[in-house]
Amino acid sequence: MLKFLNQVTSYGKESIQAARYIGQGLSVTFDHMKRRPITVQYPYEKLIPSERFRGRIHFEFDKCISCEVCVRVCPINLPVVDWEFNKEIKKKQLKHYSIDFGVCIFCANCVEYCPTNCLSVTEEYELSTFDRHELNFDSVAMGRLPYKVTQDPMVTPIREFAYLPESEIDGHNIDHTESRAGQTPAEIVASTPKPETKEG
Amino acid sequence: MNLAEGVQLVSLVLLSVMMLAAALGVVLFENIVYSAFTLGAVFISIAGLYILLNADFVSAAQILIYVGAVNVLILFAIMLVNKREAFKPLPRRWIRKISTAFVSLALFTLLATMVLQTNWTVDLSLSPPSSSVETIGLHFFSDYLLPFELASILLLMALVGAVVLARRETIIGEETAIVGEEPAPVLELPERPKEPIA
Amino acid sequence: MNPGIDLEQRFVETLMELGLTPGVAKTIWLPIPMLLMIIGATVGVLVSVWLERKISAAAQQRIGPEYIGPLGILAPVADGIKLVFKEDVVPANTDPLLFTLGPIMVVIPVFFSYLIVPFGQNILITDLGIGIFFWIALSSIAPIGLLMSGYSSNNKYSLLGGLRAAAQSISYEIPLALAVLAVVMISNSLSTIDIVNQQSGHGIFGWYIFRNPFGFLLFWIAALAECERMPFDLPEAEEELVAGYQTEYAGMKFALFYLGSYVNLVLSSILVAVLYFGGWDLPIPATMIADWINVDPNNAIFELVTAGLGLVMTLLKAYFFLFLAILLRWTVPRVRIDQLLDFGWKFLLPVGLVNLLITAGLKLAFPFAFGG
Repeated sequence: MLKFLNQVTSYGKESIQAARYIGQGLSVTFDHMKRRPITVQYPYEKLIPSERFRGRIHFEFDKCISCEVCVRVCPINLPVVDWEFNKEIKKKQLKHYSIDFGVCIFCANCVEYCPTNCLSVTEEYELSTFDRHELNFDSVAMGRLPYKVTQDPMVTPIREFAYLPESEIDGHNIDHTESRAGQTPAEIVASTPKPETKEG
Repeated sequence: MNLAEGVQLVSLVLLSVMMLAAALGVVLFENIVYSAFTLGAVFISIAGLYILLNADFVSAAQILIYVGAVNVLILFAIMLVNKREAFKPLPRRWIRKISTAFVSLALFTLLATMVLQTNWTVDLSLSPPSSSVETIGLHFFSDYLLPFELASILLLMALVGAVVLARRETIIGEETAIVGEEPAPVLELPERPKEPIA
Repeated sequence: MNPGIDLEQRFVETLMELGLTPGVAKTIWLPIPMLLMIIGATVGVLVSVWLERKISAAAQQRIGPEYIGPLGILAPVADGIKLVFKEDVVPANTDPLLFTLGPIMVVIPVFFSYLIVPFGQNILITDLGIGIFFWIALSSIAPIGLLMSGYSSNNKYSLLGGLRAAAQSISYEIPLALAVLAVVMISNSLSTIDIVNQQSGHGIFGWYIFRNPFGFLLFWIAALAECERMPFDLPEAEEELVAGYQTEYAGMKFALFYLGSYVNLVLSSILVAVLYFGGWDLPIPATMIADWINVDPNNAIFELVTAGLGLVMTLLKAYFFLFLAILLRWTVPRVRIDQLLDFGWKFLLPVGLVNLLITAGLKLAFPFAFGG
């Protein structure tokens, strides 16, 4: 009998514990309701991409020397470099350059290895089209610069979480021009003493 | 005839037709699931007839117990045992058929004589009880006490039986091991010995 | 007790002044409350769908519907219109008759239950003697519709969902009925009007929540299970069963299921308010307010105001429980089917019986407080 009563008491205690846990859970959910939505309402508000954002590749036709390094370092040999040897100037002459961004994985290895810096990454990420062949960018399309989020009058730019001023957790509350917490890389460079130049 | 009487007559005819049609459906449908669903329709029409007889509590109880519990359990059982099997012709099936016909006929004559012999005239001087719940409760605990208690004992027995069946742990898959030496009993499942409850 | 306004009587009297016979006037009156209640229930569903979306969004720090009407209040209307105009697909090898009948069987009993929902002393369709028992009886029809649609869909997920719905509904009907029974025992009546009247008179302290708190918890849990709300939404558990018995449904038939589930939720919330939170009662008794502001309690304008306030109070209480249900949805994880049945049979049922027993004992011990 006593054992049975003990069982009943422990069962009752467990039930009360479970009810308390549910109450705690409810209070957490309720607390979340009071917080501001973190939603970025996309076509009207956009996050400012970070400075190392790897978006669509930009290409400068005149700088390219048709060395095909970009093709070799690409994981899937994606860039198409169409060149012809010009015997008069004894140089390779680029006729056509294209990258299919429907296949590209945006690793930016080509940008890393390009000897003449004719490739670079942009902040552009809005690459949706009605036909996948439209994603096969030629040198002209890749030569275009994307619209900056901060300069678009239709868009409210919002800072990403890591680029907010100190003790600020929501990009909606601050102006996008405010500087972020800590020093920027440029400030760090400016503040460090220059290493002494080698003599001679 | 005023509006209320007209409505009563129409509902009576509608409910009776619905009940009879559904009852025929229960018997005549080939598909047993259809039979079960039409059985639900029969129960609901009977509940409607109870309402016409001023028995609102009985009608609600009819829906709750017969439609909500009995019929749902029947459907449940049918759907859990969804096995299609062709009937094998049994030897001497005519005995069964004749005995079924006999039982059905006997039941029918019994009910028919009951219908014919009952005095169906309604004493209009008696007003219907104001609260059917109270009247039923009073009857349960005075002149119908014994049937009421017997019914509760019956339910208790059913409950205990269900618990015993549910607690039994049968050994599945071990009867194949002893095939050959001794034929496994047909209508018994080997049972695990029970541990005494501490 | 202040009878409050009697709309029926006034309506019939107005019509009779226009020269109609009492019979005709009553006949004209008859369909009006039913139509009003159906419209009210449907609007209540639209409101609760909107609330569900907005509160879910808030709990997840999203915004929710925003551009469809101010604050997105037209989003459920847009949903409804979309569902009405969608193609009515009946998949191959289904049973078309049962497939169509299933959702109807689910929705009709739920709407029928609004017959007994009171918003004031005389603001309800009919004061049945069996009141709350009528609702319990009707809510037991719905699993037949669920089994029907689950069986006829010719889909294993649908069948499993239907079976689960039926098992869950049968299991949780019993604790629900036991919780209601304790309330009925205190108030000596099955009628919803009597139940509320028994709670009125002492303002907030007369409510049954103080006399029967465990019954309230029991009722609320069982009602959530009956409505197939989280954490008891096993019949349509999307991770396991696609959408349970609704899997094969589209268009208007799906809309019926959707409507039915939300009407049921609103109904359960209103009934919690009626059974345990004093229904249309104000937290302070109306007669006391009349005393304070020196108004005769039978003054026509005062009666109108209290009736309106009562309606608002019922809805406020009901929507508070709706809010709680939505909050619970985002707090509690779904239970497993064996846990569900264990919980129903091995926890709620004994607790319900003990609750009933204690209520009966209290009724004998303190007849003044427990309606002896």
